[in-house]
Amino acid sequence: MKRDLSDSMQSQGSLSVSDESIARMLCDDNHVEQAVRLIMKKYGEQLYWHIRRMVVAHDDAEDCLQETMINVYKYRSTYSNEYPLSSWLYKIATNESLKLLKNRAGFTMSVDDLGDSLKDSVREEASPNADETLILLQEAIALLPAKQKMVFNLRYYDDKSYEEIHQIVGDSVNTLKTNYHYAVQKIKDYILEHQL
Amino acid sequence: MKEFDLESMSREMPFKMPEHFLDDMTERVVSQIGKQRKQNRDRKIVALFASVASAAAVALLFLHPFGSSLNIPDYDNISQCASVDEVLQDMTAEELSLYSMMSNYYGN
Repeated sequence: MKRDLSDSMQSQGSLSVSDESIARMLCDDNHVEQAVRLIMKKYGEQLYWHIRRMVVAHDDAEDCLQETMINVYKYRSTYSNEYPLSSWLYKIATNESLKLLKNRAGFTMSVDDLGDSLKDSVREEASPNADETLILLQEAIALLPAKQKMVFNLRYYDDKSYEEIHQIVGDSVNTLKTNYHYAVQKIKDYILEHQL
Repeated sequence: MKEFDLESMSREMPFKMPEHFLDDMTERVVSQIGKQRKQNRDRKIVALFASVASAAAVALLFLHPFGSSLNIPDYDNISQCASVDEVLQDMTAEELSLYSMMSNYYGN
């Protein structure tokens, strides 16, 4: 039975497996590893880039993604299907990214004080042939306060609705809209100021 | 003033993700989860043995309570005990003189 289900999942292709099926498998001890593989296939890339946009360095993103997936396994019983699986995954990934940044900031600084060092990492991590405007955009995002950065990234890159962002970040929709508005304004100002 | 249209910009990232990164990560995560599951199973087995062992110890206590083999008199049931006179009758002269000396010493 276990084999049959796994084989059928493989043959169907992971992207066509519904989130409900993945969530059911996640809570079934006999299929939990299969569920983790499916999540990595379906959401791994999105989660990686969501984390990477927060922490900038690939090595940090790697650590965060691994911790995210281990936490998905550890806390699978806390998943409630009243929210989409993707929101739950993004929430864990966001928390892991913030945890890493808080550790980096230590006791004396806040996460929002890391802007300059994250901005420096953008240039170090950028591909040699990367477009200058794209680098400037990432520098501007790196300088944003953590909350504005999260909201901007989820809306701009992941195309999430405010309702979904609310499920991930927790603030009210109005607060999220305000955060997005300020983020866009700061990014525009930074790019106009630094563009050649 | 120059206008900058953020919406028209490419969503591309200036960074690269290493090749095969996600496949390698998947294998690493699955292997780590496998190890954790094994640890959890081992812990459950140890806990099961511990609870069986403590249940056996408790059962042993009920079946063979401490002191059952020591022949301690049942002082709650005084009628089963010999009277002082009966005990004195069975004593030798030497024991009687020792008893009388001890009684005087302790004021009884």
